[in-house]
Amino acid sequence: MSTVELRVAQRRGTVALTGREVRRVFSLWTQTILPPVLTATLFLAVFGGALGERIREIEGIPYVEFILPGLLVMTVASQTFGNNSTSLFQAKSEGYIEDVLTSPLRPWQLALAYMAGGLVRGFVAALAVLALAWPFAGGIERPAVALVSLGLTGLVFSAVGVITGVWAETFDQHSFIASIVITPLALVGGVFYSARTLSEPWETLTRFDPLYYLVDATRAGFTGFHESPLWLSLVVTALVALALFAAASALLARGWRLKP
Amino acid sequence: MRATKARRAAAKDDADADRWCPRAPVLDLMYPSRTARCCLFSKHRRDSSSPEIGGTGSWPEVGDNLGGVSDEATALFVDRLTKVYADGTHALNALELRLPAGSFFGLLGPNGAGKTTLIGSVAGLVRAPAGRIFVFGHDAIADARARLLLGLAPQEIHLDRFLTAREVLVYHGRYFGMRRSDAEERADELLEVFDLARKARTKPHRLSGGMRRRLLIARALVHRPRLAMLDEPTAGVDLELRHELWRYLRRLQSEEGLTVLLTTHYIEEAEALCERVALIRAGRIVAEGTPGELVDRYGGERLEDAYLEAMRA
Repeated sequence: MSTVELRVAQRRGTVALTGREVRRVFSLWTQTILPPVLTATLFLAVFGGALGERIREIEGIPYVEFILPGLLVMTVASQTFGNNSTSLFQAKSEGYIEDVLTSPLRPWQLALAYMAGGLVRGFVAALAVLALAWPFAGGIERPAVALVSLGLTGLVFSAVGVITGVWAETFDQHSFIASIVITPLALVGGVFYSARTLSEPWETLTRFDPLYYLVDATRAGFTGFHESPLWLSLVVTALVALALFAAASALLARGWRLKP
Repeated sequence: MRATKARRAAAKDDADADRWCPRAPVLDLMYPSRTARCCLFSKHRRDSSSPEIGGTGSWPEVGDNLGGVSDEATALFVDRLTKVYADGTHALNALELRLPAGSFFGLLGPNGAGKTTLIGSVAGLVRAPAGRIFVFGHDAIADARARLLLGLAPQEIHLDRFLTAREVLVYHGRYFGMRRSDAEERADELLEVFDLARKARTKPHRLSGGMRRRLLIARALVHRPRLAMLDEPTAGVDLELRHELWRYLRRLQSEEGLTVLLTTHYIEEAEALCERVALIRAGRIVAEGTPGELVDRYGGERLEDAYLEAMRA
């Protein structure tokens, strides 16, 4: 078998594993798609509808339009993370991961396939939220920026999901990252407020949250408003995504916590 | 040229099978009223010009001849394989093993002797053992081609619970580089052979233990490996099914040239199936030969006597 034939086989395998992950997302849509859409809709209703009557505008932007980009980032981040960490954790704890571990797929292909499943879930959920919020949204100022920013959000958190799935040995460990790391980061990442309107130390603390820069960049894409240097945020996030992807691939290559 | 030859050979096989199938009586005996599956063995006879994993080209070729370390005649070559687990357990201790291609090879040893670790090391399920492993000349640790030549049926049954029985086979084939259509065709063939066709759309957790075991063995064979490693495939399987599996495995080996590495605790199983047997104890091969040779060496009347004597020595 030539190297080209081997590469073809590996590519087919990667596509198959991606397909399996995507299939899992849609077969469990009541657990994978519906809850984040409901959650984001409730946020929109409560903060945009009820509180929006009082807050009206932040930085000259209607409140619903202000929080929508952040809600999309929250949705993509939590869903890509949740999908990959859960899928890998299940495959590992139930043992059927051995089917892909014995396959000829290279570690980075395994990481990529798992990440692709998470990205599909994150973007399907985000599109559903966007569709529901569209009547209240003011359009998208710079669609490419919004897309790149959400894409980078997905890449970062899907890679974190893969790493968590590999790392977690119990369901408690798996839940710990979601509830102690991801959710707080999302809630204090400037989704519902502008960092520069906060008093110290809250403004500085918010700027330490990596999610803040993704929210800010996505907001720049939707509304044109941003508080931090846009391209710096995107470049740094891209580098972080690359580093996390490399880390996930390295862990899969080493078989850390996957193989005795 | 090679692919054309392979296609011609396959077409000739198909034509022969259409005219008359010499294996039909045996298959009928094993699976009454299912002689159609004889085509499975005609179509996919294993030799250097058999169909490729994708279904139309040539089989993976043997890699470099490593100066006698491994070649076409050696399905598996294990050289000074050592594995020490994190808790300090020495599972494999400079283990050496050579499996002739096309053989039915048994690996016998008590619990904890290192059988599953050895198989896991070959299949890539055990982390970084020291030593070298070659599968038909390909380095099993560094060269992904080795993975394509291997089929593994692990001791524990772990099947993807999100997939149906048929999908378990199809996805496995695709993970191993098969085209979707070829994987589907192969899955249907194996479902027939393993008497699982009626359960094709059933999820694994709804299958009986015996059915899950059959599905696991079928999964190991989907991508048409040249070396099948079956780790206690008949553990917990009733007598009738055990004999059915024996017959099927024998046929795979004799008609498709598949090399089989079988671990088992049933000595009579090894005696009935294996041309050669290795006895493993404390991570080392302590003896290897035909069952007759082992009996001659250790005394007694049967392999069981030789095994017990070897384990005591």
